[in-house]
Amino acid sequence: MYIPKKIYDPDNNGHFDKFGGRYVPETLMPVLLELDEAYQKVRFDEEFWREVDYYFKQYIGRPSPLYFAKNISDELNAKIYLKREDLNHTGAHKVNNTIAQCLLAKKMGKTKVIAETGAGQHGVATATAAALFGLECDVFMGAKDVKRQELNVFRMKLLGARVHAVESGSKTLKDAMNDAIRYWVTNARDTYYVIGTVAGPHPYPMMVRDFQAIIGWEAREQILQAENKLPNKVIAAIGGGSNAIGIFSHFLEDKEVECIGIEAGGKGLDTDFHGASLQKGSPGVLHGQMSYLLQDEDGQIQEAYSISAGLDYPGIGPEHAFHFENKSVKYDTITDKEALDAFVWLSQKEGIIPAFESSHAIAYLKKTQITPNEIIIVNLSGRGDKDMIQAKDILKFD
Amino acid sequence: MKQLVAYLTTAYPDTQFTVDAILALKEAGVDKIELGIPFSDPVADGAVIQKANLLALQNGFRLKDVFDVSKAISGIDIYLMGYFNNFYHKGYEYMVSQAKQHHIKGFIIPDLPYEEAVAYADLFPLISFVAPTDSKQRIQTILQNAQEFIYLVAYAGITGSNKEEDLTEVISHIREASDTPLFIGFGVNAQTAKQKAKNVDGVIVGSAFIQILLSDDSYTTKIKKLQDLASSIKQSIN
Repeated sequence: MYIPKKIYDPDNNGHFDKFGGRYVPETLMPVLLELDEAYQKVRFDEEFWREVDYYFKQYIGRPSPLYFAKNISDELNAKIYLKREDLNHTGAHKVNNTIAQCLLAKKMGKTKVIAETGAGQHGVATATAAALFGLECDVFMGAKDVKRQELNVFRMKLLGARVHAVESGSKTLKDAMNDAIRYWVTNARDTYYVIGTVAGPHPYPMMVRDFQAIIGWEAREQILQAENKLPNKVIAAIGGGSNAIGIFSHFLEDKEVECIGIEAGGKGLDTDFHGASLQKGSPGVLHGQMSYLLQDEDGQIQEAYSISAGLDYPGIGPEHAFHFENKSVKYDTITDKEALDAFVWLSQKEGIIPAFESSHAIAYLKKTQITPNEIIIVNLSGRGDKDMIQAKDILKFD
Repeated sequence: MKQLVAYLTTAYPDTQFTVDAILALKEAGVDKIELGIPFSDPVADGAVIQKANLLALQNGFRLKDVFDVSKAISGIDIYLMGYFNNFYHKGYEYMVSQAKQHHIKGFIIPDLPYEEAVAYADLFPLISFVAPTDSKQRIQTILQNAQEFIYLVAYAGITGSNKEEDLTEVISHIREASDTPLFIGFGVNAQTAKQKAKNVDGVIVGSAFIQILLSDDSYTTKIKKLQDLASSIKQSIN
């Protein structure tokens, strides 16, 4: 049974070196301290994890397979394994986190949960867990994304959630998170905020990492079973960074394994249209944490851009900022075009349609230097169903 | 005499207006100015101040504008209010040296709670926030070295709401923990000021002033309305 392990744990106030922390209005500090205490109580508690384990297996369908992708392996002269988080209930890794957080919320006696969402995957995963556990659910989503992701909005409503279209700022994920925080400050006493990635104030980056690290814990066992040795590389796409930290963490202590995180290169790093917070940003404070941010000279936050709504965020989880400076993870970028090519490539070679987010990780297989027969795991964090309408418009097959 | 602190979003609609407004507010009895740095993501603020922040940025606000404004003012205490990223990105020590040069009395940073503020507390006065969600024990901790004044948030929420909370207990905890003057902010306007000023040493008014700035009135009408509101609030709290 999975129980988290302390791997690169932050200090008691949530600092991964200078990153992380808790940069929130005072009203929320008691709430975060309460959450930290509640989480510390269950963090290594077998009873709690037995309950999580039950839902992971029976509801989400874990463990997710580590699939040997023979066709692309032959083409690249390598052994490529796909960690199939796309096969999870609701279609992505997001649900691992929402199930565990909603169980914790329930344990804390909270009856209402809120969430921010970009493409709608985390919103759907939160609405799903809220329906399962009988919690009231409000989801904040940028007005632009509400229009772009009509189907996910309907899914959330069908699951019983209220969806708030956020009209402030750039009307995307960043602003959805601003409004979720404002709502949370206002309803601090009875509302639990289900943050969707390894970002936000402590304890979220550590806690969400623990909940997603089931991915790497399984993958490690699965690859040892299949190959009797560790992989050479582990690749994952990064918006906030939860699927990446999730699969990396159980390989981070193995120096022979290279973990590679892929940020959104958008239209190219030489343009203003990308989501490459590490490569093009600098340290700063947003949404309760210190991390790398896309910002101007005065520290005003800039808008991110990516073909993929899940990577369209001007920040990144603080633990990634730490690994970036510590050089314990390698970071690179993939453009919209490379991701789109990989989206078609995997669909036609393996019969697996990846999400636009995961397509960035897949695309890196063609960018990285491959030594013959090396073993590579790619985290296929989500399926592409949600991207069909956008893909249809761009690819124009007719 | 209870004090009145006025918040203004710097450079909305432009820096000259901010300077004129401060001078006019001073005349009308305002004791201290909370000079706001417009930020792209003001999470502690309600719709009114968010809008002023956004418009100021769209009008080309630059960080140096706050120092230009403070340079043009004398005879009233100015505190610089802003979100931590603007301070951090520009360099906190640089901001302190600029602030000292321009006779700014302290910083008000709503997203820099006690635990994160500790590292900066010795460099320059930082206003301590207390929220109604705080326990007695936490209030004692965070007010250990309170400087200038204490900023009591009137309710769990963002600026400019109509929320109300019973603050009797939290105020008594603050008084036990510190002798520093206690000011209350959030949701203070002409209607609520008298009630909110009970048991504290002053009020902080933001959204009610910014509402005037956002109206379609002429420059001079706006200045006049700011003054009227300031003097009526000053009267009602005393």
